Parts: sequence; structure tokens; C-alpha cells
Amino acid sequence: MSATNLRPSSRSRRWLPWLVLALLAALVVARMLYLGSVGERFNAAFFTRAAIDSVKLGSLYALIALGYTMVYGIIRLINFAHGEVFMVGAFTTYFLFTITPYGPMAAVALAAVLAFGVTRLVGFFRASPRDPVVLASGGVAFVALAWALTLGTWPFWAALLGSMLATGVLGITIDRVAYVPLRTAPRNSLLITAIAVSFLLQNVGLLAFTNRQTPFRPDTPLLTPIALEVGGNPVPTNALLFAIPLVTAVLVVILDAFVRRTRLGKAMRASAQDAETAQMMGVSVDKVIATTFLLGSMLAAAGGAMWGLNFGSLNQPAILGILPGIKAFAAAVIGGIGSLPGAVIGAMVIGFSENFVTALFPRTPDFAGITEFKDTFAFVLLIVVLLVRPSGIVGEDLSEKV
Amino acid sequence: MAMLEVEHLRKSFGGLTATNDVSFRVDEGEIVSIIGPNGAGKSTIFNLITGVYRPDAGDIRFEGRSIVGKKPNEIVDLGIARTFQNLRLFMYLSVLENVLVSQHHKMRSTWLSAVLRTPAYRRQERAARELASEKLAFFGPRLMSFRLNQPVLVLSYANRRRTEMARAMATGAKLLLLDEPSAGMNPKETAEITQIIRRMRDEGGYTIVLVEHKMNLVGEISDRVVVLDYGQKIAEGDYHTVVNDPKVVEAYLGKKAETDEGAGAGPRETRT
Amino acid sequence: MTRAVRTPTALDDVDPQRRVRNAALTLVALGLGIVALWALQSVGSTKLTQALALFAIWGVATVSLNLVNGTLGILSLGHHGFMLIGGYTTGLLILSEEARGRIESSARSTMTDETLAISVANLLRGLGLDGLTTPETLWVRFLIAIFLGGLVAAVAGLIVGFPSLRLRGDYLAIVTFGFGEIIRLSASTRVFAPLTNGALGFPGIESEFGKSVWWTFGFLAFTVFVVSKLKYSSYGRAMQGIREDEVAAEAMGVNVAYHKILGFVISAFFAGIAGGLWVSWLGGVRLDFFLFQLTFFFLVAISVGGTGSITGVLLGTALVVFVRQYGDPLEETYALRTWAMAGGVLLLVASAALLGFRTLRRLRPRVTPAVLAVAALALVVLLVAAANPAFLDGSFRGFGMRAIFLSVLLIVIMIFRPEGMLGRAEFSWAGLLRERRSEPTDEERRQDAWLSNPALNADADHARVDAAPDAADAGDARTDREGGR
Repeated sequence: MSATNLRPSSRSRRWLPWLVLALLAALVVARMLYLGSVGERFNAAFFTRAAIDSVKLGSLYALIALGYTMVYGIIRLINFAHGEVFMVGAFTTYFLFTITPYGPMAAVALAAVLAFGVTRLVGFFRASPRDPVVLASGGVAFVALAWALTLGTWPFWAALLGSMLATGVLGITIDRVAYVPLRTAPRNSLLITAIAVSFLLQNVGLLAFTNRQTPFRPDTPLLTPIALEVGGNPVPTNALLFAIPLVTAVLVVILDAFVRRTRLGKAMRASAQDAETAQMMGVSVDKVIATTFLLGSMLAAAGGAMWGLNFGSLNQPAILGILPGIKAFAAAVIGGIGSLPGAVIGAMVIGFSENFVTALFPRTPDFAGITEFKDTFAFVLLIVVLLVRPSGIVGEDLSEKV
Repeated sequence: MAMLEVEHLRKSFGGLTATNDVSFRVDEGEIVSIIGPNGAGKSTIFNLITGVYRPDAGDIRFEGRSIVGKKPNEIVDLGIARTFQNLRLFMYLSVLENVLVSQHHKMRSTWLSAVLRTPAYRRQERAARELASEKLAFFGPRLMSFRLNQPVLVLSYANRRRTEMARAMATGAKLLLLDEPSAGMNPKETAEITQIIRRMRDEGGYTIVLVEHKMNLVGEISDRVVVLDYGQKIAEGDYHTVVNDPKVVEAYLGKKAETDEGAGAGPRETRT
Repeated sequence: MTRAVRTPTALDDVDPQRRVRNAALTLVALGLGIVALWALQSVGSTKLTQALALFAIWGVATVSLNLVNGTLGILSLGHHGFMLIGGYTTGLLILSEEARGRIESSARSTMTDETLAISVANLLRGLGLDGLTTPETLWVRFLIAIFLGGLVAAVAGLIVGFPSLRLRGDYLAIVTFGFGEIIRLSASTRVFAPLTNGALGFPGIESEFGKSVWWTFGFLAFTVFVVSKLKYSSYGRAMQGIREDEVAAEAMGVNVAYHKILGFVISAFFAGIAGGLWVSWLGGVRLDFFLFQLTFFFLVAISVGGTGSITGVLLGTALVVFVRQYGDPLEETYALRTWAMAGGVLLLVASAALLGFRTLRRLRPRVTPAVLAVAALALVVLLVAAANPAFLDGSFRGFGMRAIFLSVLLIVIMIFRPEGMLGRAEFSWAGLLRERRSEPTDEERRQDAWLSNPALNADADHARVDAAPDAADAGDARTDREGGR
């Protein structure tokens, strides 16, 4: 696996995972054949549908999990608030492609936030935040955004990009306000702060967005149905089948290239290995951490928008972020926290455990099915992985040195 | 009588063999020093004896019984206690509490009688406090008065070292493993700690194994010296024999250019 | 210079002469407390009584949570799970016959006849103690039920404690969180639905205990007694040793596994008791009474008060309960203009507080961009509110403001005073009457300076090193030096 680990590590017994995988595959196939002989319903189309759902969900979890894994890799913080960042991303997207319900003042406020984001973003690549180019780009962005926001409807892709930007800025802001003052504090304090930020965002979301289920139906070609047939049976699906994994893959490839090729990416990898030494070697660790939060939050926002598309509606803000967030965290741990491909692999594991495994144990006349347990799978997997192999599938060893 | 016997001990980390076929013994009432250049595997031996690491091969016997595979706290129960090279005190607990924690494993009362403060518990608590004062008194009055209830956090480095030694003594161990007891101390404090180690043996009745870099300390108090280099034992014997052993000289002089340990090598003694 | 107060020595934490006086003071304080409670209860409103009872119930939960979080140093996030177990057990065991009848006749109920027959009353009947099944002896049944609830929760604590042997720090926190959520999520599944009545829960639980200050404060006193005696015993010291340095604690003979599990089990037991009181206070059992939010509130309480101190934890709990019970004006509907004004003033206060903090800590520069930005934002908001434009005509309901307040409070505390309000200071009579010495006496200071300063005792060096340096020697040598000076 020529993968980009934020923290590379050597590993023995390379054949073991493949053996486990082969055994698992054999078991799954046997179970599928058995189910096929039990009921007419459990044909190839049934399992294809489950697999499609698993891949889509896995891709969504992957987008969230990458944020967890990057932040943990660098500052060793389980960013509890990341699930809420995802929630904000989803709602901002919704907010952007529906007509602004809060009037011009809200548009100006949002434009200000977004323009600030633009200045921060440009500021990364310019020398100083007071650089004229930075200020100019901020001003242009502000005017353009305020104008665009008062116009009303945005196409979905524009809403997605705008939301990614706004959420990215939110990520940096969270880091600046809540985590920067605690850089040298005990890790428990940092974790408690993260939990507090998560609660704050939930309740502010409740206040600012809505407190009920929100339909999420933008006018986009991604929702056009696709006629898919497997073994003579139709599988109802739409373009999202390709769009979600594709968006995830593109974003992951861009992220991978960023981490491997750019200066900032290299600084990121150096900081992940040893932040103190990296700082002494001239890496601005604060900038690296801010970038991490920016990228992680942007990916989470993309995940939020895709989540809305996939399910057609958004839960209320206080609960939307919790379960996806914690499952994505479980994914990051299962894959090996600190490792980018690990996060994607772990997310797929969770996605499949949630949809495909439930399909493997469906409701039959003499068995009630395991659907009602599916939310606990992620937790059980998380606990088992932490106890058996805390380094995850592709991760590093975290044991303490005496 | 042999108190501690280490036989053919081996431990490797990944590809690095930290300890390779090391054997030595410590008799009751002895002070044995383990010396060697940095990275020679001295601290690894301590970690193996105290059960932090499990040896890959070989045996460690304490008073005739093998202690390999026991957990660190079980090894303390048997009678081996240690100090750490880079001080691992309970920073927010007071000096007294630090020395009391190390006696907790001797507590016979259950947690329920501790909650209810039964007479038996009170007796044990009082005994523990008496023993704590006795052990702290080894270091003179400096840890005994107002420092007693100060958190270790505010102590000077030398006082922290002393507290850690008192803590190890209070476990009730017969064998003490001291990992660089004089690290970070000035010459006067080193001279004092040298005498204290001797008194720990003479008055306290402890058998002592120490890892040390300061050769004057080693030469002054050791009954025997074990020299390690690259995880292997290269010499053993009394101090003067060992420092004149050509292999030891070579190990030290070969290393000397690379290390900054001024007190690390024993040039003063080797010259004589 | 004579001092009235004797130095606490290694043998006594408290000056033995004061022990009797302290005990008397404690008794007086307890008596005064009881009178005060009685007065508040009979004079004050129902709301006040409820708030007091809630303080005591949550106090049981926070003090027990702090045994793991503060004393053992393990961030446990699964307390709501233990409370759920205790709450459901107690609820099922003391559910009245009428309530059982209603559940049985309900079509949506998932309980079976067997599970509906589980009750303390039936247990006592089975033992032939029919005298204890009358309405007058409900309190006996309640005590038995809540104790059993605590025990079941303690068993869960035992299970949750095991991962703590392998994991540390934030990973362990996540595992406890995962366990808490697994308990909550699986309570409504068909495995446990016959016992929990699925999503419906059981309404109609007697609330005469949970809303009585006597019962709740009794349990709080019991909890504080056990936890504080444990914390300040040899066992508590061992636990704190584990918190400070696990490797060192193990190397000093502390059985880390045993103490961690012990902490978890005791903590879970009291969490179960808190859960039993909590369902009695609420008058029913439902899944959404045991959300993670509960643990979050406890976390706010112990962090704000100070994880090192039981007194601090109770103080923090009082604050959180006050906000929860009396903070509803925050969540009402006000004109947007009012909100804007309040927001502006708050921002102004925040800016001033930040400035004050930097001044107090002597941080330079005193006026940072953050201070200016917050102040500028406050001014903008206030100006806009004063101008009273058209878009501020509407009104707005501050839904969730209490939770927002508590979250912000927690973040601020973590940033500016991570050790909490009281830090590690514990209430004690000696502390209150300023008898505790934190400073050395002049005598001790001189002696210490002499011992640690080579220039002062250079002459005595040789003698001291060769002979045993005991207190008498050192003292003599010092007097010589002093005399010579």
C-alpha cells in the first residue's frame, strides 16, 4: 500500500490482514448464498442495493473521518466538535441554495464571515495578513458574496463551495478561540473543551438554523434517477451512486497531493511526527494546525452537503452531527488514527457494517433482523479495535515509553 | 547468599538488541554499580528486573525464585523497589503523600474499612506515617518540617531526588535499584548522596544496585562494578580491577569523543 | 516568636488538640444545615424545594463522577449510562400496581407479564414479609430498590472498568463514552425492551422521595461521606498516585488494575443511586432523560468547581443546577432589539474581562487584537441596536440559551482557570479559621537555607557528610554560624 501516513510506521506480519479479509469474504459469500436459498427477496439486487448504500455511506463517513484523523495526528486532540462542524456545513449548504430566509442583514453577515475566510485563505499564501492583495481579495469577496447572497438561489455546486469555505473558516475560528490557548494544557482539558464546543455549536445551531427536520432537495442533476438492473431485478438509485464516491475520491486525492507535494503539506507531516522539533526547524506549527482545521472542516462541510443529498433531509441541528461524527471518529480509529488512507478504509468498514451486515442478517420469519442494533456497531467496533489493536488497521503504535 | 541472580538476560526492541546475554548476581548487603556508556542497556536491565519489560530470554531470580513475567507491583511486593532516571514523582501530591503511596501495597485493610476508619486501618495508617518519617529522616531535616506537606512540584531537583529515594525505601523493599541517583546534583549534593547510599546499606539494611555515570560516586561506595557496553557485559569485579580492564578503557575512550558526559567516563581513575 | 498553632507532623494531618473542637463545629454546622433546609422547605416555594432536591441528586452524580475524573484522573464520559441503569432498575422495582396495570393494558407496551412482575413488593412477598408491602412502608421498598439499582450499575461499572486497564487518556474517554451510548442505544432494542418498555418507559413513579430534600440530602451526605473518606485514605492516595503517574504508581507497588476498577465500581454504584433519585424526581423513566447532555452538565459542574476538590464539585453543581432551574428567563421570547442590546453589553463585558485578565496576569501587550475586535463588535452591535432599524422589529425565542451559557462557561473556565474555581482547596475548619500553615516559619526558613546553601554551611560540610546528618547536628552547626555572624 503506497499510502500517505501522517505518521509512518513499520509493520510485521503483512499476510495476516489479507488472510482475515479472504476468510471474511468467504463467509459473506456463503451467507449470501444461504440467504438466497431461504427467501426469494434476497437476490443479487438486494445485496447490490446494500452494497451501494454501504459505499455511499462509507464515502460520507470518510469525508468526516479525515478531519478527525488529521487533527489527531497533529495535536493529539479528539476534536469532539467535528461532528458539529459537519452539521454546520450541511445547514450552511442548505441555507445557501434556498432563498435566504433572514433577509439582507444575514446576507451581509454571512458575506462578512466568508470574506474573512477568503482573507485567511489568501493570507496563508501571502506573507502577511495585512498584505494589500489579501485585503483586496477580502473586499472583492465581500462585495461579490453579499451581492450573490441577496440574489437568492444558488446552484448546488456554488452552495457546496460556499459552505466549504464558510465551514473551513469556522474550523479555524474554533481552533483560534478554544484550542490555541490550551496548546500546553493537559490533554483532558483540551478534550473537555472540545466537548463544550460541540455542545455550544449544537445549541447555537438550534437557535440559528431551525429546531426541526429540514427537507434537503436542491435542484441538481445529481438526483436524476438511474435505471440499474442486476440479475433481471431493478435497483432504484440515482446519480449520487457515482457522485458521492467520486467527490470523496477527488477530495482525498487532492488532500493526498497537498499533504505530499506542497511545502505546507510537508510541514504538516513533520509536525505530525514531532511538533516541537518541527517548530525548531522553522515550521510555523500554528499555521500548520490552522490549515489542518481548515481542510478538515472543508471536507466535513462537503460531507454534510452530500449527506443532505443522500438522505433528502437533515435532522435537527442538536442531533444531526452526533452520530455521524462519532461513527466517523470510530472509522478514523479503526483505520488507524493519524493515517489518511486508514480513515478511508475505516469509514468503508463502518459503512459496510451498517448497511451490508444488516442486509446479511435481515428480517426473516424466524429472525427479527439486526437493523435496530446498527447504530451500536460503530461503538462496538471502536471499543474492540481500541482494546485489541489500538493502532488500528494501518496505524502506529501508541504505547508509552518508560 | 545471592539475593538477585540475573542469568543470560536478553531483550531486543525491533532490530536493536538492548540487552544481550547479561548475567550477574547481587549478594545480600552489597552495593553493586552498573556502569557503561550511554545506550549500553543499563536502564533496560532495571526495567527488566522490575517487570516493566518482559525479557526475550534468560531468567531473573530474586531470593531463589524466578520473577520473570510478574507485574511491576507484584515485584514490589516481593521486595524490589526502584527509582527512575528522569524522576517519576506524583507531582501534585505532597512529599509525605508520595512516601505514603509507596506503602499502600502493604495495607491489609480493605477499602471499606478505610472508608469507615476502623481501628485496624488507623493503626496501619499510623505505622505508615511513622515509617515515612523514618525514611525521610535519612535525608536530614530538610524534608521533615514544612516541606512535608508541600507538593513535590515546588521542590528543588535535589529534594525531588531525595523524595524519590525515600519513597522507594518506604516500599519495604530489601533490594533497591537506583537509576542515576546523583543526576542533576552539584558536587556537594553528590557527596552527600554518596554517604546516604552507604548509610542506606549500613543502617537501613538495604541491598543496592545502582546505575551511575559519576565515577567518583561509583568508586567510593561500590563493592562490585558491572560494566555494560552495547547490551553486553564486558567486565565485572571490584572498582579498580574494572577501570583498569583494557576492554572497559576501550569502551569508554572510544565513546568519550561522542558523549558530552564530563563525569561520564572515568579518566581520573584510569590515569592512576 | 511563639505560634499558637502546632505544625501538623507526619503523624497527624490535623492538630490533635483541635480534633474535638472540629468535630463539635461539624455537628453544629450539620444542625444548622438541617434547620436551614427545614426553613427553606417550609417557607420557600415548591420550585425552591425542587431545585434543592435536584442539587442533592446531581451532587450525588457529580461527586461520584469526580471520583473517576478527579481522583483517578480518568476522563469518564459514560456516567449517564450508569445513571440510566440505576434509574431503570429503581423505576421497574418500585413501579406501583396501577402503573403496571396501565402498561399491561397498553397496546404499544413491549413488556411481558414476567417482567411486569419484577418488583420489590413481590420480592418481599416471596420472602414472607407482607408487612413491608403496605403503602406506609413504601420507603423501605424504595431504599431496597435504589440500593439494587446502585448494585446493577456497579456491575456495569465493573465491565466498563476493564478497558481502563489497557487504555489511557483520551482513548479511554472515548471508550467510556461509547459504553454510555451503547447502554442508551441498546436499552430500547428488543433485547432489553421487555425490561425497559422500549421507547415508552414507565410513567407514574412515586416522586415523594426524589422531591424530598431529606431523602436527597441524606443520600448526598452518604455519598460525600464515602467518597471523601475514600479520597483521603490510603486507597485514595493510591488512586491519586495513578492519576499523577501510572507507571510510577505501579513501580511503587500499587495494583493499578484493582484501584482503577474499584474507582469505576464505586463511582458507578453512586451513579446508579443518583439515577434512582433522578427518575423519582422526574416522576417517570424515559430514554431521553439519560442523554449524554446529562454527563456534559456534570462535566461542567466538576470542571467549573474544581476536579481536585469535593467542595468545589458541590459548588459547581450548585451553579449548574441554579442555571438549569432558574435560567428559564434566558429562554423566553424577547424583542430582537433587546437581544441585540444584551449581546452588545455581553460582548463589552467580555472585552473588559479579557483586558482585566491580561492586566491581572501582567501579560504584554495588554491590549491585543482580540480585545479590540470584541470591543469593536460590541460597539457595532450596540450602535445598530440603538439605531433601531426595521429588521430588529421581530422577536426571538432564546431556545437553548442555558446550554449555550454552560458551554461558554466551560470553555472560558478551561482557558482561563483550568483547575476550576477552588482548584485543589478543600473545605476544612482549619482552613476556614486560617490555622493551616502554607508558609514556613522564620526558623524553618533559616534552617532550610542553611541546608541548601553551600556557602553557609561549607565548614560543616565535612562533619555532616561523615557523621549522620540528623536534626540535632544540623541545628547545632547552624547556631554556631548564627552566633559567629
